[in-house]
Amino acid sequence: MTAGALARSVVSGGAVARPLASAVVGIAVALGTAALLVLFSGRNPLVAYLALLGGAVGTPDRIAVALNKATPYLLTGAGVALCFRARIVNIGAEGQIALGGLAATWLALRLPHAPALVLPLLCALAGAAAGAAWGGLAALVRLKRRVHEVLVTLLLNFVGVLIVGEVLQGELGEPGAGFPQSPLLPSAAWLPKLVPGTDLHVGVLVAVAAVLVCQVVLWRTPFGFRLRVLGASEGAARYAGISFAHTTLLVMMLAGGLAGVAGAIEVLGVHYRLIEGFSHGFGFAAVSIALIGALSPLGVLPAALFFGFLESGALAMQRAVGVPTPLVSVIQGLTMIFVLAAMALSAARGRV
Amino acid sequence: MPEPARPPGAMLSMRGIVKSYGAVRANREIDLDVSAGAILGLLGENGSGKTTLMNVLYGLVRPDAGRATFKGRPLSLGSPRAAIEAGIGMIHQHFMLVPSMTVTENVMLGWAAAGSWLRAAAVAARVREASRVYGLELDPDAVVGDLPLGLQQRVEILKAVLRGADLLILDEPTSNLSPPEVGALLAVLRRLRDEGRSVIFISHKLGEVLDICDEVVVLRDGAVAGRRTVAGASRDDLARLMVGRDLTPPLARVAREPGDEVLVVADLHARDAAGVERLRGVSFSVRAGEIFAIAGVDGNGQAELAEVLGGMAVPTRGRVFVAGAELPAGVAARLDAGVAHVPADRASVGLVRDMTLADNVMLRDADRAPFCRRGWLDFAAAREAAQRGIEAFAIRAEGVETPVRALSGGNQQKVILARELGRRPRLLLAVQPTRGLDPGATRFVIDRVLALRDAGAAVLYISTELEEILAVADRVGVMYAGRLVGVVRPGGTDLTRVGLMMAGALEETPDAAALYGVKA
Amino acid sequence: MSLDTAVVELITAAVRIATPLFFAALGGILSERAGAFGGVLASHLIGSSAAGLAASVAAGVLIALLVAVATVRFGADQMVTGLAVNILAVGLTSFLLRGFAARGEAAIVRVPVLSAWPVPGLADLPVLGPVLFRQPPLTYAAAALGVLVAIFLARTRAGLTLRTVGENPAAAFAVGVDPVRVRVAAVLACGALAGIGGAVLSLQQVGTFTDAMTNGRGYIALAAIIVGRWLPGGTLLGCLLFGAADALQLRVQSLRLPVSSYVIQMMPYVVALVVLAGLGRSARLPAALGVPFRRE
Repeated sequence: MTAGALARSVVSGGAVARPLASAVVGIAVALGTAALLVLFSGRNPLVAYLALLGGAVGTPDRIAVALNKATPYLLTGAGVALCFRARIVNIGAEGQIALGGLAATWLALRLPHAPALVLPLLCALAGAAAGAAWGGLAALVRLKRRVHEVLVTLLLNFVGVLIVGEVLQGELGEPGAGFPQSPLLPSAAWLPKLVPGTDLHVGVLVAVAAVLVCQVVLWRTPFGFRLRVLGASEGAARYAGISFAHTTLLVMMLAGGLAGVAGAIEVLGVHYRLIEGFSHGFGFAAVSIALIGALSPLGVLPAALFFGFLESGALAMQRAVGVPTPLVSVIQGLTMIFVLAAMALSAARGRV
Repeated sequence: MPEPARPPGAMLSMRGIVKSYGAVRANREIDLDVSAGAILGLLGENGSGKTTLMNVLYGLVRPDAGRATFKGRPLSLGSPRAAIEAGIGMIHQHFMLVPSMTVTENVMLGWAAAGSWLRAAAVAARVREASRVYGLELDPDAVVGDLPLGLQQRVEILKAVLRGADLLILDEPTSNLSPPEVGALLAVLRRLRDEGRSVIFISHKLGEVLDICDEVVVLRDGAVAGRRTVAGASRDDLARLMVGRDLTPPLARVAREPGDEVLVVADLHARDAAGVERLRGVSFSVRAGEIFAIAGVDGNGQAELAEVLGGMAVPTRGRVFVAGAELPAGVAARLDAGVAHVPADRASVGLVRDMTLADNVMLRDADRAPFCRRGWLDFAAAREAAQRGIEAFAIRAEGVETPVRALSGGNQQKVILARELGRRPRLLLAVQPTRGLDPGATRFVIDRVLALRDAGAAVLYISTELEEILAVADRVGVMYAGRLVGVVRPGGTDLTRVGLMMAGALEETPDAAALYGVKA
Repeated sequence: MSLDTAVVELITAAVRIATPLFFAALGGILSERAGAFGGVLASHLIGSSAAGLAASVAAGVLIALLVAVATVRFGADQMVTGLAVNILAVGLTSFLLRGFAARGEAAIVRVPVLSAWPVPGLADLPVLGPVLFRQPPLTYAAAALGVLVAIFLARTRAGLTLRTVGENPAAAFAVGVDPVRVRVAAVLACGALAGIGGAVLSLQQVGTFTDAMTNGRGYIALAAIIVGRWLPGGTLLGCLLFGAADALQLRVQSLRLPVSSYVIQMMPYVVALVVLAGLGRSARLPAALGVPFRRE
């Protein structure tokens, strides 16, 4: 494949324009509604949003923080988007991230003397394996017992997080710490900084690369084709010889693996240790982002960045204007709702 | 027990019912009378208009013209509520029951008389009583999902009776029943009739109709072909009424001796999705350069046969051979063996409506050459194949990137043909290939199938359109109740014989020569 | 503390902790038995923001309305909409709490905590006394409501209709029921009940409102419903199970148990998974759960 063909395929991903338009409209409406709330509380929404923007992109430091925050969103959002393509609702990212971080921590603590270029890579692979296994487990329960994957992944989230908590009490815990966490990881395991002097680590490159790979897989490989056929028509998929079981298992393992890598990156690049609760909220955010990104890996890019910048700018907004940071959750929630309603409406009108 | 009405003379009178769906005239000026305390059989093949007529009566469909009188009063045709309140009950082929609830709960559903505070005990008592009177054998506390289909059907009957239905419409009621269950159902119907209620018994099965009905009305092509009392009817007469028509002679084709066996089916048994055995031991073969058609009314095992041969279902017994080699399960094996499949459901099985023409052309072959090279999809190859298909099959479409849902039915079928015939198959499995197509598109499909046969491929052609089958096929097998009950050669065929076979009134055990295509 | 006193205290605590769960779960049963879910998650949250039971009910209903409209009327995916509303609710409640103070700091809201109402006479029974009869008022309300919901589902025509809509909406439609209206009503009722659950947290347990104080309890309520197989009685047991686990894990130190608190917390979820996976008997989830109803 030539580079040109690759580039074209990354962009060509099918009818993305319309769903992305509804995402943009959804965001606009959400921002508008949130602005009303700000007004209602006696402050100027324009000033608030400007502060938000400044807090997000005002200085290189702020941008670095935003990109770091967006990294796990990119990875998990892409995986969940692929699952959604096959009409599989996977909310298990939180548990998969937790176990991915756990695996990475365990390996890092085991091999403190490994070379600094190799160790992060190995730990990320370990994270991917753990996440893939957890995703695969959910798929197996769903397939063998015909239980809706939402319920299975939801429950496995809790179990995964509790497993991490348990392990932190035991062998991986740091005795004497005021909080359940592992000892500081050997510096050989730390992710190198992308831009020296800032907090930005190389994880964002990995995430963006993963998103592009997902896009290519979805649109350029037989596996991606199978995902799309399965999501579009189960009857046609059977006729085409596509195995629902195989495809479900593979895509859930893929999404789990991506989430596992995200967990490893959080541990190796942000916290430098395993901290209880570090995976909180990612499962649901991944679903939001996949939806807002029109279920396309390429669409996940702006959506994840949007979430990342929102969160990073929120604190600045609160300090400057006094608008509380939870406004960000309001915006995120409203966006999701409007996008969902818009998608449902257009589906009911018989479009894609 | 609500007292059945006893009006003088006719219970139901329908006059001049007309209903068209676009160009298709489903009901053409139909008159129908049902006496009180009688069972009327409504006989006809697929497409004869029986279901439309009953949907009109029950208010599910509004007729273009016509009126009806029920129990001496005009009946408003256009809402199920009106029908239910007048005293008409319909027992559909697919039951409207909740499997996880008990018989009593299902009966109470939506029934005002059960009260806001459910009087479960009172309803259960009525269930028991009705069960006794009509021989229904229903236990009020039984969970419906655990009951055999025959008993589930009786819950539906019970619901109708308890709500005071004087006229019951049963649509192909024996399609899911075993022979002893059929007998039991007929006994129940007799008791209802003896009470003064009436029944309309829709069926294509001659034997049952002659067994249970008092009168028979035969529909064909949307009009009444004949009315008889059962006493004065003969099987031949009814069969002829059902299928009789002026036949066009078989279409021109290359005269040839059939070649080697391409498809051999040996003692195939299969179950449907609900676990009921639908294919009960079918054996035949199709040779190179011939079209073997399977005729019969829908629901006699053809769908299951197509699923097994198409690789989407696994038989419970029996084997399938293509070109001498046994075929393992799965679609991929069929594609490797050169088997093409044009499925019955064009829109939601044969195609993915939201995908483009090019995508649909590679739908089943996305993981093999020429559409997959070294692990990557080759869109150029798909586009080329689609373009070739557009030209070769005269597909009216804006381009290879048009989503297939924008195409007409005929053009969608052409896309499927382009894909399936484009693989130069040695065997084509065509299931209802002209369903819903206009005459021009129908002709196109038939021409292509004949061309394929002339070029030396084997064709298995499953259809409910008898006329079409007799024009197209070299040999015709008739399926009834999951078995091949006869094989005939068109051209000089006695239609009455075919009609009798389709209606289950005649079973000739076909000899090997007929089944395996060797000239006797 | 002697063992039996400790056990009694434990069970009492378990019941107390289970109460908000049970409200939410009852609501969830109603809406899930009608085939829609998601309202329970978010409504739970909003309910805790008010002083006053009525306000919490109203808030819960409002949130549920949002879910109902999006999912039942527009056919948006139910779980995802529930998640969205959940995120919204967490943010909204926190925002409202802070929105009116200077510099975005949280307002301090203090509400007198409802204390236990002992039932005269019965409260002095050994073991059963403290467990059943010396609980705060909303806990009694929970028990009463549980009985009411059970009766409603099993014994009334409306309850039968609701269950049918959850199992086979087409069958309900065929007898003149509008599945959409039934589901909307069920989701709203769910919101109301879950709102009360939230009120329990703030009025009966903590006496104030803090950010995200419901802490995922909505999802726990969902898990309890799974354990209880969508029946009020079973769900009560499920809630008690989670309540007991929560109570137990807080007391691991004082009771000197050999098991880690995390393992204890994990057990109810594992039980839920096992129930879901159908080991033992086939899991009886309402057949049309999560499937939007579309007129043919």
